[in-house]
Amino acid sequence: MASKIFMGNMPELMEKILENLNNEVSSLHSCALVSRHWCKMSIPLLWQDPFSFNRKSSLITNYFSSLCEDEKFFLKKRVINVEFSKTLFDYARFLKVIDLDDLESIVLRWISDIANEFHGILSALKSQKQSLREVKIEYCEYSTEFNVLSKCENLETLRLKICDYSVLNTIDYKISTLEIIDTPIEAKPIESFLKKSGTLLQRLKIEFDYAWEESETLLLNAIKSFCPNLKYLSIIFILFSAELLELIGSLQKLQFLTLMLRDDKMSEEESEIRYKEFVEILPITLQYLDLTNTRQNSYLDVWLNNCSAPLKRLLIDGLDNEKQTQALIEFCKRKRTLNCVGVSKYSELNDIIKKEVEMYVTLVLSEYIVIDC
Amino acid sequence: MDNGTSNSASENETITLKSCDGIEFHIDARIANRYTLLNNWNGGESACIPNVNGKVLEKVLEWCEHHINDPQLNCGDDDSRRRNTIIEEWDENFLSCDQDMLFEIILAANYLEIKPLLDLGCKTVANMMKSKSPEEIRSAFNIDNDYTPEEEEQFRKENEWAEDY
Repeated sequence: MASKIFMGNMPELMEKILENLNNEVSSLHSCALVSRHWCKMSIPLLWQDPFSFNRKSSLITNYFSSLCEDEKFFLKKRVINVEFSKTLFDYARFLKVIDLDDLESIVLRWISDIANEFHGILSALKSQKQSLREVKIEYCEYSTEFNVLSKCENLETLRLKICDYSVLNTIDYKISTLEIIDTPIEAKPIESFLKKSGTLLQRLKIEFDYAWEESETLLLNAIKSFCPNLKYLSIIFILFSAELLELIGSLQKLQFLTLMLRDDKMSEEESEIRYKEFVEILPITLQYLDLTNTRQNSYLDVWLNNCSAPLKRLLIDGLDNEKQTQALIEFCKRKRTLNCVGVSKYSELNDIIKKEVEMYVTLVLSEYIVIDC
Repeated sequence: MDNGTSNSASENETITLKSCDGIEFHIDARIANRYTLLNNWNGGESACIPNVNGKVLEKVLEWCEHHINDPQLNCGDDDSRRRNTIIEEWDENFLSCDQDMLFEIILAANYLEIKPLLDLGCKTVANMMKSKSPEEIRSAFNIDNDYTPEEEEQFRKENEWAEDY
């Protein structure tokens, strides 16, 4: 007999199981075909972020077909006059993530000339304002159409890539995740947005491959003042400054930290002292530390010998010498929490070192450890 | 607090739990401190944990004991999009039991609010579904197909985009 979990008696448990298949589109598709109940449970997950997985035009047809009548009316009037058939589910209401770049490219396939119409589609999202949880905006110039975001008050996550910061001004409510990638850092708009989201912001990623210049101090202080509840922080190309040290020390709920420091011209001795200070103030909640692609690897033994955070996952570039190897082994013995180390130069690891370390902790290629913002 | 947990009980303290079929277990009090619901059934002469039999409770407590020094996660960590894909070897071996026991462990972890074990069980079941056809999933979990042929066809048509992704 089938477990009661799968028979509709415990939908919350079935949902929990299926959530693990989030990125497994074809597995979710199979699950939906198992039975009617399984279909009801799988469809919301299958349709929560469909545009990032697929660009077939049949997807956009079914998406538009499942919009409510008002939205279809709007599309017919403003975008394209097509008859839509009735679908089994209102798929559009399951959408939680929308990447405007993905949506644009799929619509571009669907209709030939989209230059102006695309923004019309953005306005058509209005009646999905209650369901949208995540928005990704990539390579988009700001226009007043983005004002639709001001109504999406259940939005939790905003991801910007090569974008105009004006979009931040349209959002007056608090969100829990902010990601800014490849966009030249402008301290003021980010600072006022951080102030708005304040204690609710739990995840912050700011990644830009050039120096933040004068924005750096302002932003680090803003994060420290307004966002004490961060659990996830990823910042790259930043100076190893006293402000950074103060910020990390103040984040008492931090669990995931990715750091990429830029060259600060400190002497070796100064660096060692600063690294030691830094690692000593890491919060005891920290369980994931990513130090790959940085110059920190040469100080790995200093990090490990002084770290009291109960790390479960550590990402490093490599184990370059016996001192680092022993420091890692000693850390494993001392903390007994570390169960996996991701190494970006895994193929360059010496076999003897690998064998020695693997008696205490699993070594894997760093790409196998995925913790997204 | 060196390991980041909030256990206040000392290593030598024990508490007594009784399964619904009357089997007693004497466990490290720090386990009950981590999973507060377990404390509800601590010690009472006739108090027993309903819905969880001795065989299942033994497995659940074995898992708790093995993970007693793990750092505790907060509620913000359960976002499914941030799930870690790795199941540790010990956990994998631990849950390589028969399917009935696996589901019993999940139900018990849910009932006793042992979230990390619940997550692990759910992840293990999800892995059993990965890359399987609908027919293979039905047969693996003994599920009947109650679709009409028309419904199934319409579903396939509307979701064809996801079929071979």
